[in-house]
Amino acid sequence: MSTVRERSGPRKVSRPPRAAPGRPGGRDGARPGSLWPYLLIAPAVLGMLYLLVYPLARAVLISFQDFRLRQLILGDADFVGLRNYRTLLGDPQFWEVVRRTFVFMAVNVAAIMVLSTLVALMAERLGRAARTVVLSSLVLVWAVPVVAATTVFQWLFHSEFGIVNETLTGLGLSSYEGYTWFAHGGTAFAIVVVLIVWQSVPFAAITLYSALVTVPAELYESARMDGAGGARVLRSVTFPLIRPIFMLVLSLEVIWTFKAFVQIWVMTCGGPGEATTILPVYAVQTALAGQRYDLGSAASMLTVLLMSGVLVLYFRQLFRQEGEQL
Amino acid sequence: MKYRPLALFSTLVLSAGLAACSSSGDASDGAGGRTALDVWLMRDSVSADFQKQFETGFEKSHPDIDLKIQIQEWEGIGEKVTAALASNDAPDVIEVGNTQVAQYAQSGGLTDLSDRVAELGGSDWLKGLAEPGAYDGKQYGIPYYAANRVVIHRTDLFEKAGVGAAGIKTRDQWIAATGKLDKGGTQGIYLPGQNWYVLSGFVWDEGGDLAVESGGEWKGGLDSPEALRAMDFYRRLQALGKGPRDSDEAQPPQAEVMAKGQVAQIIAVPGGAKVIEEKNPELKGKLGFFPIPGKTAGQPGAVFTGGSDLVVPAVAAHQEEAFTFIRELTGDAWQKKLAVAMSYVPNKTTLAGAVSADPGTAAMAAGAVNGHATPNTPQWAAVEAKNPIKEYMTAVLTGRDAGSEAAKASRTITDTLNSDS
Amino acid sequence: MSTSRPSARRALRRLPLHAAAALTVVICLFPVYWMVTTAFKPSTDIQSYDPRLIPRAWTFDHFRRAVGADGFALFWRNSILVTLSAVLLALVVALGAAYAVARLRWRGRRQFVLAVFIAQMAPWESLIIPIYIISRDTGMLDRLPTLTLIYFMITLPFTVIVLRGFIAGIPPELEEAAQVDGCTRAGAFRKVAFPLLAPGLMATSLFGFITAWNEFTYANFLIIKQQDSRTLPVWLSSFQSTFGTDWGATMAASTLFALPALAIFLALQRHVAAGLASGGVKG
Repeated sequence: MSTVRERSGPRKVSRPPRAAPGRPGGRDGARPGSLWPYLLIAPAVLGMLYLLVYPLARAVLISFQDFRLRQLILGDADFVGLRNYRTLLGDPQFWEVVRRTFVFMAVNVAAIMVLSTLVALMAERLGRAARTVVLSSLVLVWAVPVVAATTVFQWLFHSEFGIVNETLTGLGLSSYEGYTWFAHGGTAFAIVVVLIVWQSVPFAAITLYSALVTVPAELYESARMDGAGGARVLRSVTFPLIRPIFMLVLSLEVIWTFKAFVQIWVMTCGGPGEATTILPVYAVQTALAGQRYDLGSAASMLTVLLMSGVLVLYFRQLFRQEGEQL
Repeated sequence: MKYRPLALFSTLVLSAGLAACSSSGDASDGAGGRTALDVWLMRDSVSADFQKQFETGFEKSHPDIDLKIQIQEWEGIGEKVTAALASNDAPDVIEVGNTQVAQYAQSGGLTDLSDRVAELGGSDWLKGLAEPGAYDGKQYGIPYYAANRVVIHRTDLFEKAGVGAAGIKTRDQWIAATGKLDKGGTQGIYLPGQNWYVLSGFVWDEGGDLAVESGGEWKGGLDSPEALRAMDFYRRLQALGKGPRDSDEAQPPQAEVMAKGQVAQIIAVPGGAKVIEEKNPELKGKLGFFPIPGKTAGQPGAVFTGGSDLVVPAVAAHQEEAFTFIRELTGDAWQKKLAVAMSYVPNKTTLAGAVSADPGTAAMAAGAVNGHATPNTPQWAAVEAKNPIKEYMTAVLTGRDAGSEAAKASRTITDTLNSDS
Repeated sequence: MSTSRPSARRALRRLPLHAAAALTVVICLFPVYWMVTTAFKPSTDIQSYDPRLIPRAWTFDHFRRAVGADGFALFWRNSILVTLSAVLLALVVALGAAYAVARLRWRGRRQFVLAVFIAQMAPWESLIIPIYIISRDTGMLDRLPTLTLIYFMITLPFTVIVLRGFIAGIPPELEEAAQVDGCTRAGAFRKVAFPLLAPGLMATSLFGFITAWNEFTYANFLIIKQQDSRTLPVWLSSFQSTFGTDWGATMAASTLFALPALAIFLALQRHVAAGLASGGVKG
């Protein structure tokens, strides 16, 4: 995310003359070879090595072993090469699940990004009191425990006891009396999407809003002085400035919807049929319920690979921009 | 560990410091040379009163043991027991669901108690608890208590409709009576569409099974003619009330639905009656029980035997004391008290008389005679994780073709059970 | 009268905006409202055949039962302790790393950024077994610091990434100007950039707080025998029994559970406003 590069267009308008051009090491005085940057990242690197890379390496190892409850308890796992991966990839159901996962992710992420951008823009324009109310209600949504939120959605759409059917019937749509929302693939899928979007928008909207308020006000002023209309300011000033954060939120939402599990598990267990079975649900059903930690690990590795596939373009861009930045 | 909220940064340093030094957990020996015995029981497995009574009694007769009972929650218990069995410092006795024993036994995490069975009076144990507690011909799980479903009914509504509960001996009589009750604002029975334990009972009653093994291969059995007859009966019974077709007995809790009124019957463990009375005191004294009727009057309906076994982790530090605990809790004296206090079926058929005074438990004990268990394979847990049975039930109840849906569900069960275990 | 007309017109012009805001709030809050009112409804009205928007009767029973559950105060303390330690640790460590990435030039910077990003994709659900084994072999089971470290790691990549974006978004000229005025580099960062970072710190710490606060799987798997070390999500699950879940108490517990996050947000929000006002964003 090269904030600097993307900013250079609009920033030129207001940028003061370069300060202290004569300092050594170029702008901001970073001296190559200095120890400081390494000291600053050392705790993060050490933490990641011990708490993430090391366990991850062992998880990869497990995915090449015959590792079940027995091996966890007694600890004598045999290597089986690629057998676990062959088992998964050879399951015809697997590819169907992968396809569904991508559809699920695309629908969710699109809805989340559109809605949260709108909410963030709206919050920025509101007065202080109204803004606090909107942001607080977003935070409240975010803070509701996942299981409670999922249960409430289940209740709302319950066939006999739900207020949705009650309301629809009250409006004269008598075919909704006792309508079984979770027994139909399409409606069950839709309800899960609504729930996940509802739970995800708060984070995205608050982060985008935080990005919006760091946009220096003089940029807007100068753009408006140049005679730009609202839509144009949005397109040529606001969006380029929040683009790094926007892309960041987008990629995080890709990751998170790819991993959505609890909501689906509590609500539908992947059913009806397989209408809501996405990769994490599939992994639990095939692997973890039978305590097949080896298969579970392999499924996770495949999930990470697929996720990276989606994000690889973003990564490339990120990598290239990092090179240009500074 | 002592923390001061105002000095969080020093807390961080402190936790890092604590993290660095490793100690071997809590001191495993209690004060005064007594052995501390850690026992895990499940929530609602014993009441607080019973627990206290037992602890006092136990420590009196075994003064060298310091009994520490911890109550565990149901959610996430599978993972928790797994973690305990794999740790270096496991509790000494764990209560696990009877159908869960096989997978832990298979993993080598449990102590084989086969040579103590005779000492515990194993020949009289309930089959529904003892069989799932065994794996590969060895006994790992010691029967603790059992519970099975009965019909809880409203005596006042039965009276008003002119139906006598005592006369209901067969399922045909039952459905006729329920039809009579299902009038006006009253639901004949509240039976949610996904109570697969009840369906399983009907399947066994018709002579079918959820899955059968032959030559090491499992095959789902929902599409057998017997199982289809069972599903048809379930459908007819379910229609005599407003049970939701797409959820199970826990969503919403059916005892609460009955407490709200105008429900003549539910199928539940008798302990559910206490919940109903607690939620709606007006129903006190208006609840009766009878065993689920069978196909013929000669035998009560088949039921799923739920319940718990006690196991000893292989890594438990105090194996002998653990056995002492098990001998006491599963012995006749405490079993009688437990059954009365908690409305359970005691772990031995010979103790059934202990609960004859309590109508609910008596009805349950009568039904327990025809108790069954889910297929005894460690892979069964994977079937329940997917639960094709629940989906099959909803599909049939919402009007889809039973034959083809049953074939589909059976295929899923077959595939899951045979996916190399 | 003449003075009120422009403001009336202004209010009219802002009407769609306020309508949208109202709609957002309603959609957000309806399920939350349902959760909270369920916590106040008598048990017989929860999931009734005749659902009502406004409860027929109110009761505090569920809250009493939720608060009265065993170990409530202890679990609460544990959760606060673990969560706050993890969030603060992540903030401190991430701030350093984010500053290095956004402001300094060094070899391996690109690789580091990419690594942090990939760390965000870590499959925590299947890392639990290796982490369990490692903790077991190093005697770290049953300890709150273990949970703290794990929650720290779960939130760290996100915190680094977001803070880096925020630091990059602050014009370096502001700091340079302060340095010209005689501040040291660290001093310039602290005085000028840090207040501007407030929104970013808010977003990341809130994220970390909610993630760690809600976490159940690791808390359940790694805290085995020490019941005194359990955290609040375990408490949330304690209202399930063999007769089904006590939903009234669960919803009451969930309501109490969500409150600290809101409180932290409101507290931080004031701080953010102050930071914006004093930080000189508006010139």
